[in-house]
Amino acid sequence: MSPYQFTNVLVAIDGSDDADKALDCALSICSSLDAQLTVLGIEGKLPAYAASRGEVDEVKREKDEFFARVLSEAQQTATDRGVTVRTDLVPGHSADVIIHYAAAHAHDLIVVAHHAHIFGDVLVGSTADRVAHHAPCPVMVVR
Amino acid sequence: MEPVQLAAILMGAALLASMVSVKVGVSVALIELAFGIGLGNVFNLNPDQSWLVLIASFASVVLTFLAGAEVDPDDFRERLGVSVTIGVASFAGPFVVATLVAVGPLGWTTKAALIAGTALSTTSLAVVYAVLVETGLNTVRVGKLIMSACFVTDMCTVIALSAIFIKPTIWFPVFIVASVGVIVLLPKLAPWFFRGFGDRVIEPEIKLVFAILLALMVLGDEAKSQAVLPAFVLGLVMSRHYQQHREEQRRLRVVAFAFLTPFFFLRGGMNVSLGAVFANLGVLAVLAASKLVPKLGLVLPLARRYAPEHAPFMTLLMSTGLTFGTISALYGLTAHIIDRTQFSLLVTVVVLSAIVPTAIAQRWFSPDVEAERAGDARTTPTPSPHAPPRVPAPEAARS
Repeated sequence: MSPYQFTNVLVAIDGSDDADKALDCALSICSSLDAQLTVLGIEGKLPAYAASRGEVDEVKREKDEFFARVLSEAQQTATDRGVTVRTDLVPGHSADVIIHYAAAHAHDLIVVAHHAHIFGDVLVGSTADRVAHHAPCPVMVVR
Repeated sequence: MEPVQLAAILMGAALLASMVSVKVGVSVALIELAFGIGLGNVFNLNPDQSWLVLIASFASVVLTFLAGAEVDPDDFRERLGVSVTIGVASFAGPFVVATLVAVGPLGWTTKAALIAGTALSTTSLAVVYAVLVETGLNTVRVGKLIMSACFVTDMCTVIALSAIFIKPTIWFPVFIVASVGVIVLLPKLAPWFFRGFGDRVIEPEIKLVFAILLALMVLGDEAKSQAVLPAFVLGLVMSRHYQQHREEQRRLRVVAFAFLTPFFFLRGGMNVSLGAVFANLGVLAVLAASKLVPKLGLVLPLARRYAPEHAPFMTLLMSTGLTFGTISALYGLTAHIIDRTQFSLLVTVVVLSAIVPTAIAQRWFSPDVEAERAGDARTTPTPSPHAPPRVPAPEAARS
């Protein structure tokens, strides 16, 4: 059986400390395997059932500014560690976006952070759980 | 209760609502409505103090102005014919059916039935917009078509709300002339005024807009009409100005969301009687059906014709409602056209229509945005080299 040859790694980040750990782990893997890394920012939910388009626009603008900064920092970190990196920002629900994005861009490893959201875990399962169950490739969950 | 005591309680509720909204990802308006229902039903707070009625009424006019100012006129113009067809059908079907059902089987007065027809004919552009932006569909053809059609439905709603209760007085021509005057003059006056007085912490440009809207409310009252139509059209003619001055628009939103709209939605919720809703679940179901069945019956065939692959998605999103439905119902209550039970039923149907069709559309009918983009790219003609360049809307940050 031939060993896995990870060449196209995807890491999803949201600006949290846990996501920073996942990014760090993904950079280590890419650095040692000379793999290409994609850092994916997921904007997450906008205010549901808004009364004004302005409310949606303002939250979207705040998220855009936040993720522009987070992705820029991730890109700088990756460049400093000599890893070839591309970044992308996608709206939507985390698990769905990660699974579809990995399939669409032929990623061979997904790195995600483990988040302990008690209510979310009980009701729908964490993002990491859902990605691990439905991803088209191996998944590394970083604690 | 003293006015200042009520104001303190409501602002505290507004603060809590905004914190909950951030945590749960649901719009602050819906949380404010829910908190208002709690305050009204549990603590029996009086929603009819004159200061609260005034601020809530002004907030509804400001919300209407903002809704007009948030329309993208270029997108709308590109899809004018289809948008008008779908948007008018989306308004007319529920308006006629809900009015007839209310005046017939439910035995409401004609005026109350017209309020029901207006409140239930709406489509929430804001609810739809959030769904489209979250999925990226706002940038593809089907998303733009849905938003343009929603705008037409909104326009029909404000026309209905302004027109059906007109009792012409000597002030009516003055109201019309003043409305047309500010609609024509403000876009021309705005660049000069904002250049000379804008971008200051004392906010002369917001005061100008508020002064005009309040003057329209005064004239509307004297003319026994409503300021919603001129406010909406005024917002619409100012939309291009705000596209070029996003920070101005943002400051206007800040003032509206921080101080005005919380009182509107809290007061709306305070007027909802849960007892009346639970005692009239049958009527509630009939009113909900009188909104949803005509929407499905009229919009679905048109959607099948103009966006065949996404007809159910489009139809469900066109069945949503929130802001204009609440504005229409609260107008009816404040003008004593409908009673508290009728108001409670209408607002409950409006809120349900914001949630249920949206959830079904997102869960089972949401289009694949990447496939839509690919389809759009295949069908979009190459622009003429002589075509005037479009001013690009601000894009999401992309690294």
